[in-house]
Amino acid sequence: MIDNVLLLGLWGVLVGLDMTSVAQTMLSRPLVAATVAGVIVGDPAGGLLMGVLLEFFALDVLPVGAARYPDYGLGAVSAVAVVAGSPGVLSTGLGCGLGLAVAYIGGVGAHLARISNGADVVRHAEALNSGDPRAIYGVHMRGLLREVTRSVLVLVVGLGAAHIMRMALPITLQGAVYLRIVVVGAAIAAVVSGTVRLTGRRVAMQWFVLGVVGGIVGVVLL
Amino acid sequence: MSQGFIRSWFRTLLIQASWNYERMIGVGIAFASEPILRKLPGGAKGSAYREALGRATAQFNSHPYLSGAAVGALAKSEYDGLPREQVSRFRTALAGPLGSVGDKLVWAGTLPVASALGLFLAVVVSPLVGVITLLVIHNVVNVSLRIWALNVGWRGGVNVASRLGVPALELGLRIAGPATALACGAMLPVVTAWLVRDFEPSGITGAGLIAGVGLLLARWVWPTLGGIRYGLVVVLLAALAGWL
Repeated sequence: MIDNVLLLGLWGVLVGLDMTSVAQTMLSRPLVAATVAGVIVGDPAGGLLMGVLLEFFALDVLPVGAARYPDYGLGAVSAVAVVAGSPGVLSTGLGCGLGLAVAYIGGVGAHLARISNGADVVRHAEALNSGDPRAIYGVHMRGLLREVTRSVLVLVVGLGAAHIMRMALPITLQGAVYLRIVVVGAAIAAVVSGTVRLTGRRVAMQWFVLGVVGGIVGVVLL
Repeated sequence: MSQGFIRSWFRTLLIQASWNYERMIGVGIAFASEPILRKLPGGAKGSAYREALGRATAQFNSHPYLSGAAVGALAKSEYDGLPREQVSRFRTALAGPLGSVGDKLVWAGTLPVASALGLFLAVVVSPLVGVITLLVIHNVVNVSLRIWALNVGWRGGVNVASRLGVPALELGLRIAGPATALACGAMLPVVTAWLVRDFEPSGITGAGLIAGVGLLLARWVWPTLGGIRYGLVVVLLAALAGWL
């Protein structure tokens, strides 16, 4: 159990760094982050379910430059910690709800880290402007360290909340069923609205409708 | 290809590590350029190297995968000994195209397509196949763009903007929107059917209603609401309604 938590924490830090600071290989996409987290905790099916739901929400986000966006990777890892080993009906809504909350907190954390990076730049402005390579290296590496710290702190909150939820699932069976319906509905709204926003032109909408028709045919055939 | 060039490429992978609202990726550009600039006249202890590094730290922003074009082009302009004002104007002019091309091609193109395909395969074939598909498609684009960008920046120097119009990139920009729309549209019914596979008919109706209300809000009533806020609000309402 402890090994799993440590491994999950390590995976979470990698996911947190991947969001913006290191390579952006998309380990931080919920589908990837949650599925791997599910394998780590021995519940691949729960990981996939959280990954799919949060990936729908993540498709609503355009992670451009100065924009503030949620950290769905850390949210996905925390969500899997809630659902691992529980019946899907009971934990899907709670897991997804916690995933969304942690993603939001992770986004706020990234914003604060950027402000702190800015303060560091202002403090070392003279050395940076003079081209001091040690100052450049120092400011950059401290930025990386802030991202590690942010990821660890957000994970402590996320995994801690997941642990509390698992100790005493604060939900009735009826409530769990309703909550699952609610998060699935919200996820569908997010992915449709995100796709329309990304490709909003008339031509792209025609392709979207064509895709939906093809998808429906696929559902009937599958 | 020199060792400095290869080091610079690897450093572009970390270019956003010190992202801040003051200089954005300016410090990252300097961090990535440093290995290339070591061979300026006078070497790493010379004044040309220090002055070039100092200029490199100024405010700059671009899409991270194309930032190599700025690293290469700005380093080349230092080797060519261009006047400081010209380098500064060039730097300002470069940020816009590198940002908009990358955003449209990657964030609104290859990433959602890779995500949609990954979701589709994860629920139809296996989670592993879905995850690998997403990562492979996205990272083929990620690594290729980063290699191409640093190369084209170094070769193009201040003329790099004219070299950004290669046919493959133009084709990518033209099909990004339709491809995203088609892939997301095709994935949506299949993955939604998988999500609601064990729902009662009333549950499917309920999820449809929540989705409809969310879309109505997001598209016409409250466009800045965003999926995450809507999700959090409905979960909170569920809690307030006494379901938890």
